[in-house]
Formats: sequence, structure tokens, C-alpha cells
Amino acid sequence: MTTAGRRARPGKAAGNAALQDALAAENAAIFGYGVAGAYLTGRQRATATAYWNEHRSARDTLSGLLRARGEQPAPAAASYKLPFGVHTAAEAASLAIFLENGVTAAYLGLVGAGDPGLRTFGARAMQAAAIRATSWLGSTVAFPGMPAARPSPPRAR
Amino acid sequence: MAADPTRRRVLTASALMLTAAGTAGCASGQAWPWARPPVPVPEVGMLRNVIAAEDAMVSTYTAVLSARPALAATVSPLLRQHRQHLAQLRDRLMVPAGARPSPAKTARARRAPVPAGRDAVLAYLRRAETDQAAFLVHTLAAVVTPSLAQLMASISASEAAHAALLDSAVSPR
Repeated sequence: MTTAGRRARPGKAAGNAALQDALAAENAAIFGYGVAGAYLTGRQRATATAYWNEHRSARDTLSGLLRARGEQPAPAAASYKLPFGVHTAAEAASLAIFLENGVTAAYLGLVGAGDPGLRTFGARAMQAAAIRATSWLGSTVAFPGMPAARPSPPRAR
Repeated sequence: MAADPTRRRVLTASALMLTAAGTAGCASGQAWPWARPPVPVPEVGMLRNVIAAEDAMVSTYTAVLSARPALAATVSPLLRQHRQHLAQLRDRLMVPAGARPSPAKTARARRAPVPAGRDAVLAYLRRAETDQAAFLVHTLAAVVTPSLAQLMASISASEAAHAALLDSAVSPR
């Protein structure tokens, strides 16, 4: 159940929780891109580095938003369990898609948290993550971040 | 708890039967939940505009596909996704019973004709996608229903990705 404080300001508490979820997803993506980058070369590696930086920047933005709301940003974990073995460039690209889908879903939660100030922010972040996912996937999905969205396996580009 | 006139009208039939049974007139009873008339959602007008805009995207893609069938491999999957967007948005449109049907809204037709040349067509579609994605983000700020805001944000993300995909098809890097 919610605490008394949450009941007092459900909108703010829901917004804070959704911001923490988005932050957790960004931290996982930063870790994951570090793994993926090790198996990529050339243009793909440059892309992974650029996206890693975008996720770091998003992490800083989210941390700032939480602090401005009087919330302490939750720290990143030391490591994250990979969803599958990553030993090749193709698996690294699949991991990148997995990470972007997770980030998109986290921002979808922010859009639904009911805080109008965070909604547009969340929607823009969903656009950025969907664009990054598409650059790895080579195709688009109809409903990024939605539970039913099942991207097809990545193709080599 | 005074029933509003709309609810009263909906309940008339059952109320008449209850009167016959001699049990009506109990003002303290809870209204049957399913007898409650649908509440007009505040965003019906906004949703109609979004549907019209998405409908226009489908029309734009259909026109491009018929003018440039050689682009089918690129364009058809995107058109298919726009049709999915449109279907989901239409599913959300619940018009209250008894509401006057609003005048048929013609889709915001994109008057610009399909340009000549492969890259020009792709750029034309990319602009349409970018505009539509931005329109959705702008519009969802005023949405009251969280799940509708999420649907619109997801569609907007899909369309931003469409624009990126079209962009990469225009100028392979």
C-alpha cells in the first residue's frame, strides 16, 4: 500500500516513482552499451558510443529532475544481468535493441504518471529511444514501449 | 444522491418496472453501475483531430504507394503501421449515447501532390512523419486520460522512427 505521504500527493509521488524507473532504465542502458560496444567495430561502434553518451546525458537530466523535486536519485547497480549471452556484433546489436526497448517502456510509464510537466518530456524521450532502436533494427514498430510491441529479430545492416 | 437528468432517463424503464412491484422511490439506493450513461470524455474533440490527422497520414501513404509502386518495400510497412495507429485511436473514441453526431470531419488532407523523384517522395513522407510526431507530442500535453496519452506518445515515437528510417533511405550514409 502507499504511504501516508504518497496519499497526500499521489501525483507527485507517481511522478517521482516514474522518474526513478526511467533513471534505472537509463543506468541499465549505460551499462549495457558498455558491454555492446566491446563487440562492435567501425560505424556500429561509433553509433554505440554516441548512444552511450545520449543515455549518460539522459541519466543526468533525470537525476536533476529528481533532485529539483526533493528526491534522491537511486544509484546505478554495479552490474546488470544480461538478457542473453553477448559475444558477437549481432548479439551486441540485439542487446542495444533490448536496452532501447526497456528505456522506451520506462518513459511510457512517465507519460502515464499523470504529471503534465513530465508527460511531454517522457514522450520526447520515447521518440529518441525509438529512433535509436530503429537504427539497430533497420525497421520500425507500430507501438514502441507498449507491452504488445514485439520487435522482430535484428537484421545485419 | 440525486440522479442527473440523463441518468434518470436511462433508468426510466427499470424504474417503471420497480414501481409496478411497489419497491421504487427509495432515493438512497445505489444506481446500477451499468445503467450509468457513458461520461463524455473531455478529450473527444482532441481525439477526433488526432484521428483525422492519422487518417490523413494513411491517405498520404496510399497516394504515394499508388503513384510510386517501386517504393512499396520501404513504404508499405510504414503504411501498415499507420493503419494500426488509426485502428487503436478509433478504438479509444467513445461517443456518449445520445450525443449529437459531430459533422463528418474530413481528414486534414495534405494538398501537396506527391512529388516526382524517389528521394523527393521520401523527403515528403519524412516531413509528414515529423510534423505528425510533433503534433502528437504537442497535443498530448492536454490529454486527461493517462492511457490515451501513452498511446499517443507511443504512436508519436513510432512516427519519429518512421521519419528517421525515411531519412536514412533518402541519403544512405
